[in-house]
Amino acid sequence: MTLNVLFAASDLYLGNTIWYLITFAFLLLLIKRYAWGPVSEMMEKRRQKVINDLDSAASERKRAETLANEREAALKNSRQEATKILSDAKDNAQKTSTEIVAGANSEAASIRQKAEEDAKQAKAKALEDARQQVADISVAIAEKVIAKNLSAEDQKDLVDQFIKGLND
Amino acid sequence: MEKPFVFEFLGLKFDLVGIIGSTLMALVVLFICIWLSRKVEMRPNKKQNVLEYLLDFTDGIVRDNVEDVDAQKHLSLYAFVLFLFIWFMNQLGLFLEVKVDDFMIIKSPTADPVTTMSFAMMTLLLSFTFGIQKFGTGGYLKNYLAPVWFLLPVNIIEEFTNFLTLSLRLYGNIYAGEVLLTLIGNRLAPSLGISTMVLTAPLAMIWQGFSVFIGSIQAYVFVTLSMVYIGKKVTKE
Repeated sequence: MTLNVLFAASDLYLGNTIWYLITFAFLLLLIKRYAWGPVSEMMEKRRQKVINDLDSAASERKRAETLANEREAALKNSRQEATKILSDAKDNAQKTSTEIVAGANSEAASIRQKAEEDAKQAKAKALEDARQQVADISVAIAEKVIAKNLSAEDQKDLVDQFIKGLND
Repeated sequence: MEKPFVFEFLGLKFDLVGIIGSTLMALVVLFICIWLSRKVEMRPNKKQNVLEYLLDFTDGIVRDNVEDVDAQKHLSLYAFVLFLFIWFMNQLGLFLEVKVDDFMIIKSPTADPVTTMSFAMMTLLLSFTFGIQKFGTGGYLKNYLAPVWFLLPVNIIEEFTNFLTLSLRLYGNIYAGEVLLTLIGNRLAPSLGISTMVLTAPLAMIWQGFSVFIGSIQAYVFVTLSMVYIGKKVTKE
């Protein structure tokens, strides 16, 4: 047993140490190239992505909040505007209707006045015409009476004749 | 007692057990990692999740023990590969032990002090490198005089004790597990014929399960302590 231990001590295989170092170095390089490198790179990328996503989510929420506020304000504004427009329109309509009614009234009055004047004029003209005719007739009758000595009967015939002629 | 299969090459002695075991496990680690990371996507698939969980786990070890952010970035890969490699080497001897004519061919490489010392040495050298990179050679050497000058011998001895505890803890745990497993399988089981063979089967199974647990814990401890030592070198006390 003692001999064995001594034998083992003289047999210190330092070559193995070098072999382990070489093996480990190769293992290190290959794993870095094929497994550790890509995976840790991807983990870092994912970390960055999560950070970015969180940041963008926060900013998006802020934006949405301001948008909602803006929309609410706009809604309130538009409601006010709508009521204003409505009242304006009502006012306008009333004004226009009174204007139209007043215009119609005045027009009707002027038309009536004109009609009255026309009627008056027509009447005056008719009277004038009648007067003229009566005068003419009187002259004609007088002429006939003077031109012929007439019997009463003849006179009556004449008048009748004349009146007949008037009727024609 | 099995003999190690040692041969000489270029004036250096090589032990076949460690070389076969470590190379085999390095290939296994490499293929598993490549298989898990075949499709790397922004929305991780199941295989990528496993790899990311492992990476997160070893990154957690690094983050907890190294305060320097720049060093953390550089140590992430080292911790990841070291953890997987040591874990697989710890487990190798539990399910596969090949013996040819009294010569061991395959067993856990970490059940051998030379292996564990190699990895401890690697960590130690890495910690020196990180310390010198951070503080410069003068600043690094001055750290041996901290916090007071007469602690210099203690600080120097600490380097050796760190090296020894780091390597021998791993070696002892894995070696003990394998010895007990061999004892159960080779000595206890055939001692009274069939009856003991049947009776020792569950015992071997329980011990194997326990050894898996120990192997995992030891891989975790090895990586953690490596990070503690390196972390100590890059922070000013």
